[in-house]
Amino acid sequence: MAKILVVADIKQGVLKSSTTELLSKARALGAETAVVAMGSGIAPLAPELAKAGSDTQYIADDASLELFSAGPYAAAVVDAAGQFGADMVWFGFSESSKAVAPRVAAQLDAACATEITDVTLGDTVEVIRPAITNKVLQRVKINTDRLVAVVRAGAFEADEGITGSENVVQLAAPAPDTKAVVREIVSDTSGEIDLGDADIVVSVGRGARNEAGVELVHELAKDLDAAFGSSRAMVDAGFMPHNKQVGQTGRIVAPSLYMAIGISGAIQHLAGMNGSKVIMAVNKDPEAPIFNVADYGIVGDLFEVVPILREEIQKVRS
Amino acid sequence: MNPLLMSVLLIVALGVFARTMIGKIRLLQALQPAERVNHIAERVKNMLVLAVGQKRLIGRRRERSSGIMHAFIFWGFCVLLIRSIMIYGEAFQHGFTLPLLNEAHLAGYLYTALKDVMEGIVLAMILYAFYRRIIVRPARLHNSFEAYLVLALIGILMISDLLYDGARYNLTQLYHNPAGIHFFNNPRYGTEFAWTPVATGAASLISHLGMKANMALMTAMFWLHICTQLVFLNILPLGKHFHVITALPNVFLKSLGYPHEKPKLLDLEDEAAWEDESLGINHIHQLNWKQGLDLYTCTECGRCKDVCPAHVTEKPLNLFEFNDRLKHELLANADKVIQRFRLAATLAQCSDEAGAEKIRERMAALNSEKQLVDDVIAEDTLWACTTCRACEEVCPVTIEHVPRIVAMRQGQTLMAEAYPKELNPALKGLERNGNPWGIGYDKRADWAEGLGVPIMAENPDVDYLFWVGCAGSFDDRSKKVSKAIVTILQKAGVRFAILGTEEKCTGDFARKVGNEMLYQMSAQENIETLNGYGVKKIITACPHCLNTLKHEYPQLGGRYDVTHHSVFIAQLVTSGRIRIEPSLAGALTYHDPCYLGRYNEVFDEPRSLVQAAAKGVYKELDRCGRESFCCGAGGGRMWMEETIGKRINLERAEEIVSCQVANVAVGCPFCLTMIEDGMKELEKEEEIRTLDIAEIVAQSLA
Amino acid sequence: MKILTTVKKVVDVELNIHVQDGAIVEDGLQYVINAWDESGVEAAVQLKENHGAETTLVSVGGGDNTDIIRRCYAMGIEKGIHVDDPALEKADSFIYARVLQKVFEKGDYDLVITGKQAQDTDNGQTGIILAEYLGLPCVSNVVGIEVIDDTHLKVTRSGDTGDEIVELALPAVVTVDVSINEPRLPQMRGLMMAKKKPIEKMDLAALGTSAEEIGCAAPKSEVVEFMPTEKRAGGRKFEGEAADITAEVVKLLAEEAKVL
Repeated sequence: MAKILVVADIKQGVLKSSTTELLSKARALGAETAVVAMGSGIAPLAPELAKAGSDTQYIADDASLELFSAGPYAAAVVDAAGQFGADMVWFGFSESSKAVAPRVAAQLDAACATEITDVTLGDTVEVIRPAITNKVLQRVKINTDRLVAVVRAGAFEADEGITGSENVVQLAAPAPDTKAVVREIVSDTSGEIDLGDADIVVSVGRGARNEAGVELVHELAKDLDAAFGSSRAMVDAGFMPHNKQVGQTGRIVAPSLYMAIGISGAIQHLAGMNGSKVIMAVNKDPEAPIFNVADYGIVGDLFEVVPILREEIQKVRS
Repeated sequence: MNPLLMSVLLIVALGVFARTMIGKIRLLQALQPAERVNHIAERVKNMLVLAVGQKRLIGRRRERSSGIMHAFIFWGFCVLLIRSIMIYGEAFQHGFTLPLLNEAHLAGYLYTALKDVMEGIVLAMILYAFYRRIIVRPARLHNSFEAYLVLALIGILMISDLLYDGARYNLTQLYHNPAGIHFFNNPRYGTEFAWTPVATGAASLISHLGMKANMALMTAMFWLHICTQLVFLNILPLGKHFHVITALPNVFLKSLGYPHEKPKLLDLEDEAAWEDESLGINHIHQLNWKQGLDLYTCTECGRCKDVCPAHVTEKPLNLFEFNDRLKHELLANADKVIQRFRLAATLAQCSDEAGAEKIRERMAALNSEKQLVDDVIAEDTLWACTTCRACEEVCPVTIEHVPRIVAMRQGQTLMAEAYPKELNPALKGLERNGNPWGIGYDKRADWAEGLGVPIMAENPDVDYLFWVGCAGSFDDRSKKVSKAIVTILQKAGVRFAILGTEEKCTGDFARKVGNEMLYQMSAQENIETLNGYGVKKIITACPHCLNTLKHEYPQLGGRYDVTHHSVFIAQLVTSGRIRIEPSLAGALTYHDPCYLGRYNEVFDEPRSLVQAAAKGVYKELDRCGRESFCCGAGGGRMWMEETIGKRINLERAEEIVSCQVANVAVGCPFCLTMIEDGMKELEKEEEIRTLDIAEIVAQSLA
Repeated sequence: MKILTTVKKVVDVELNIHVQDGAIVEDGLQYVINAWDESGVEAAVQLKENHGAETTLVSVGGGDNTDIIRRCYAMGIEKGIHVDDPALEKADSFIYARVLQKVFEKGDYDLVITGKQAQDTDNGQTGIILAEYLGLPCVSNVVGIEVIDDTHLKVTRSGDTGDEIVELALPAVVTVDVSINEPRLPQMRGLMMAKKKPIEKMDLAALGTSAEEIGCAAPKSEVVEFMPTEKRAGGRKFEGEAADITAEVVKLLAEEAKVL
């Protein structure tokens, strides 16, 4: 029976759903499961980690793990993998995972696969993953006994009835990385979320017409903790600052969700955002080119749609 | 009169003048070569129409009154010059006249009358000029001391001559000619004074002064006239009124066959040119002599800035100031430029490398201390130009501003590598995928899917190549225009094909922003493809492609018969291959694209087509035809941000809105984008539809 | 400071990628410098310009890489190495990292800058694995580099919760994101000079290693098949009563797309 170690995704003390999704998949494949969690003050999450579908919980809980640092996090994972005898180590999709997984693979002399969307076990282990900016899928054969994988967001579904058993193993605190010391975490000084970093980008276009329209769309962005971008027209009209312009001559973004509000979709704009995973658009012109690329398009006046949008999002999120 | 005094005056004045002129000419000789002395008949014609005929002064609706004023001053001045020769002669020979223009011939009388009336008109025009400068104060005028001085001098020339004649009249007719003054008195035509109403009028003003005073006045006015003229002659080359001397030659030497000098095909592999920083214009000595003459000739009349889209929308481009700054830089470096020129000649004959190196070092040391772009011309100024040529079209003395600006941009891009960095994505897109949007080249023919459009590679046996252009291939709005053209061509049964994924950007925008490297790369690839298929005739919907294919590709060996779609469609209509039935509702106007109208002289066909298709009334925009106002996208401006002043497309869109139409027709994909964007900004996109000529025709096909 | 940067020649992602019989159709494709590596090169050149670093570039595999290496010369890189060997045909990130390790060990580098991933594989592993092999500290997804002194950098890493400010002791490896800078566009003068500059070309033997030593015979993973991805399901357009269609779209965003 394969042994799969899942790296818990904990953000601000909260266990993210990806952990359950990965454990569900591991159990569905008939694997023996364990989870490894790193952080400060996370020991109380042990029951939750078990409930998420793990039978062993390796926990490295130390004040030194408060801020993410790839070296010590990797050391904890390698430690857990060793103790568990893991055949596979699975990470949920995050920047931290992408930083840690290759280190763990190198240290375990394992293969490494990122952004996988599927995995098959058996005589030959294979994974499916997108490549070339999501233009093709690769079927990758794993030639080693061990595999470290980062799973693409939303690839596996959580099994509602899943449960595990609590069996906590405390890990020794890994040595801090003295050569790459995280001094602090800062966000954009203006308090705005940077377009390049954001998971969701909300952009405003000419449909907003005036200050009030821009403010309306900005509120939507705030609700979503999204970065707030703009079409060239609104920058030219002086409603938005230059560094917020998404497009050919501005910023190029590829968030998980791009909301184009009142943007017709000039080619220059599309060039800056068509790498987004999901595109949602609101425009009152049903012929607007933005609808050719939007996964979800709402034909309507943004002044009417955006307030409803905010309400509905509030409902879904709570 | 006193021949000795006259001789001294003439020798001194002409001597000083000759010295000044030799200096000016030497400086021009030291500048770069330009081929301008050919096709003499055409040049003479240009000079007669534009300079002597004052076409751009009196021919422009917008500037007619000042144009007429200038024309009469100019003509009056020319007429008076002949008289002046006779006055100079008078000092040496009593009663000196020129052949034919004497009392024996009617011509002499007619000339006398003409001169007299012209002097009166010129005086009136001078008064009007003062009135304009002091009271009306048109924004384009730059009120300088020099302007007033010159007006005053011309006034003095007229007044002195009139009073001279007036005194002659009084002395001969009232005081029985005590000094034996010569005057025309042929019994057949009467006395000359019967032909000179203005001078006799002047005479009556001074007749009461008495004989002595009139004698004195006649002598004084004689010498005042002479001295004023000689002073005037010597003042001219020192300032903007040099144009009085240089305008005629400048018009004579203007570019022929194409509205201005074509961009030079730069040899980018020439290492000496890199060493010498002579790719593009980086230093003042790199102007060619005609460009130098342009600078001498600029009169700072300001017509250029009045029509300049950048200036009108408060960008820091003021073309006469641009010229003035270059002129001062040129004059300040005159000695260095001339020395450099001599060293270059020495270098050409120098055979030993060590000596040559020394000369090169000395030449480099003779570059101006100022950076041409930055210290002399600000960067924002240089990059503000849309290359629309409105300035050149109105310039009465045919100054060619745009080639100089493009050459300076070449210098900035190639040598200094200092160009607006927001151009990088477009340049990179051109480099990699042959279009400024950077969209994969493989998607170039996607718009034509399912339309049954033959691709050249599969179907080379056609009569015409439809050159789609990047916008027509990749921009969603312009793709509709491409489809409309296909509809029309198919309806007419034209045998055509497109290049499909083999077509690349012509490189127009790259060249206009000075990136000669990417232009040449793109152009060479296109020419190879076109020549490979033996393409002869090209139809295109993009005036920028048209202009580049037609006028710039021959430099690289690509010679094609290129037609704008409007002209081609008009031919289809004329030959009866298609028929247009009026279908377009609402009033209609037409916006002339710069590269179609001013650059390629296509004005009538687009109008005839859209008028045929319109049910509603056709209206002209205030700024139309030769004086059409740019949309703001030319000269690579499409790919730069427009952060200074008002947006040019908005200015144009407002003009269209004020024209009160329901449709505006265009003939250029960039105009289409810019004007439609302007309409959206004004929230008028639903009331006023922006349509390409082809779209209008396609929906009106019978 | 001596900087080693890496570049990979990759397929131009602006193009449509067609798959046939489990393989990518090469016909019509064109190859360019990996965008993340281009940012890495720009970062190295900026360090050179602002702090006087020495810059060396290495490209592994890819056949004729002359064009992209010259492009990097034109951007300001001083020295270029191209390692290629038939044995590298099936190389995975680990083998690439081994090759880079050998290159690093032959020089006396203080800093390695790599792109955080290559746009053909999108693996994002090589730089980090190289750091592991070299036993050097590593910061990935870097969006800012400042020099503190000869032995320390202050780098900004775009992390999950914000920008992490990391004090990094040299020698070290950083992998950069494209948002770190806007790479300059090489111009004619640089490209002309680049033509005259030699490129140091070597195979594995010349590098002082062998296919066996770096594991070419047994890559840890290999791509056995390419498949087309489903096209963007664009054009799902909802028209009707604003309240209804908006509620529906939000529901789809949350449940179908899972992006809320």
